[in-house]
Amino acid sequence: MAESGRTELWSGRRGDDSERMPEITLAAGLSLRGLTKSYGPVRAVAGIDLDIVAGETVALLGPNGAGKSTTIDVLLGLARPDAGAVTVFGRTPEEAVRAGLVGAMLQSGGLISEVTVRELLVLAASLYPAPMPVDEVLERADLTELADRRTTKLSGGQTQRVRFALALVPDPELLVLDEPTAAMDVETRRRFWASMRQLAAAGRTVLFATHYLDEADEYADRIVLMAEGRVVADGPATAIKAVVGGRTIRATLPGVPDGVLAALPGVGAVERHGDAVRLTCTDSDLALRALLAGYPDARDLEVGGADLEDAFVALTSPATGVSA
Amino acid sequence: MNATYLRTEVRRTLRAPRYFVFVIGMPVGLFLLFSSLYGSGDQDGIAAKAWLMVSMSVFGAMGAAVSIGGRIAGERQAGWTRQLRLTPMPGRMYVASKAITALAVAVPALALVYAVGAIVEGVRLPAARWAEAAGWSLLALAPFVALGIWLGHRLTVDVLGPLSGALFTALGILGGVWFPIDQLPSAMQGVAKALPSYWLAQAGREPLAGSWIGWHGVAVLAIWTAVFAVLGARAYRRDTARA
Repeated sequence: MAESGRTELWSGRRGDDSERMPEITLAAGLSLRGLTKSYGPVRAVAGIDLDIVAGETVALLGPNGAGKSTTIDVLLGLARPDAGAVTVFGRTPEEAVRAGLVGAMLQSGGLISEVTVRELLVLAASLYPAPMPVDEVLERADLTELADRRTTKLSGGQTQRVRFALALVPDPELLVLDEPTAAMDVETRRRFWASMRQLAAAGRTVLFATHYLDEADEYADRIVLMAEGRVVADGPATAIKAVVGGRTIRATLPGVPDGVLAALPGVGAVERHGDAVRLTCTDSDLALRALLAGYPDARDLEVGGADLEDAFVALTSPATGVSA
Repeated sequence: MNATYLRTEVRRTLRAPRYFVFVIGMPVGLFLLFSSLYGSGDQDGIAAKAWLMVSMSVFGAMGAAVSIGGRIAGERQAGWTRQLRLTPMPGRMYVASKAITALAVAVPALALVYAVGAIVEGVRLPAARWAEAAGWSLLALAPFVALGIWLGHRLTVDVLGPLSGALFTALGILGGVWFPIDQLPSAMQGVAKALPSYWLAQAGREPLAGSWIGWHGVAVLAIWTAVFAVLGARAYRRDTARA
């Protein structure tokens, strides 16, 4: 079954796509162009351009209020952008949803009462053209044992797993997860990501929002860093981690120009408040040695771990913008 | 329309504790109580027990119809309707399935009161009259279904709970569902005849005497249905607008 506009990866797994919706080209991936969206005076998204290749696992990383959820709402067709264009596998978000290509786990989104977990999933499955078998959904979401429990008798983490299961029901090509692990304990989180890995390995496109750098680093191929409604960095997880996840050196060091410090080996960015400088490092060991060798009068030295919030602030100031 | 979806909706509604209390328990209890108090003699040319039976059955059915409002409001609040927007199901199907569910769960409510009437209270009617009474009662529920859909999209659960209880009771009393309106002052009788609850009750009662509510009654019910449907459609559009 060789369809045009489709990569090999897809044609094997879902041969029935062509009958269902021939116009959809999975190879087109996702595209967001010039997206802006305000809620009243609040500019939630201030111009985003983003392309996601089919099969990629991408993390949207950013602090609260960065515009991650708004971007996701627009991508899912739940919110209409003020300007810009969005396509999902070559179609509008609504069309992609109607074709059963999109599964999503939103931040808010309760379950209905008076049903068991299995009944809820059977109900959801009845709405899609080619759903994943309910038993498989239960297994992947680690819910087999809870299948006959009422939705009102679940813990927060269990509810979260049911919401993940709802995202799987359409057997989607694109999985969108908005802070999926928020209410999960450590063990649930681990199993959740193991399941996600399997799904991604089968060729699905995965986009998840998080404000944990570790989560983004560990599970995404690519990290899109957002702050104040913009993409401030976008690249492979390792590159982004080097920028925002490196260690920082703080020191009191009067009279040395920032440019000179930035040129030291292992230093990524420099920030100064009076005599106090903060060096964001890609290699803090190297940077520290170079700093002490070159400027023995540096005082109050302090080497610290990654501070994501600080990194976001640094990245949003135009002088220190990063392109990885 | 999707059978699995509808079946689950009906099952969910039947499982809700509210359903048992307001749609099944209260009408049956009130019927037995009123029957023991006022069950002798005739009313409007019908045996009083039969009159009370039909009155209480439509009272329960009305509860079933209006209570979909609370369910819609709850599901909106929980974010479930938003989740449904991520499925291929069109939003109007959600509303349509709620309406059908309301009618479906009204059937056992009617049937149970009828059964109590036939078995406990000894109401005897030709088979065709039972069927006509039930059929007309369901048709006349239309304005209440529309009312539930409107309120469910317009109000929050916190407001809707007490409001629908009050509304439901007021419509019952003012519309002569609980007591014959000929016991009311004539001005009140005029009000009653403009209410959908009066015509709902009459729609169930008239067939007992081999009659029907006539075009006037049908028109009043149709107008209320149209008004609530327009308000409901507006509230629905506002609620689901993609901001």
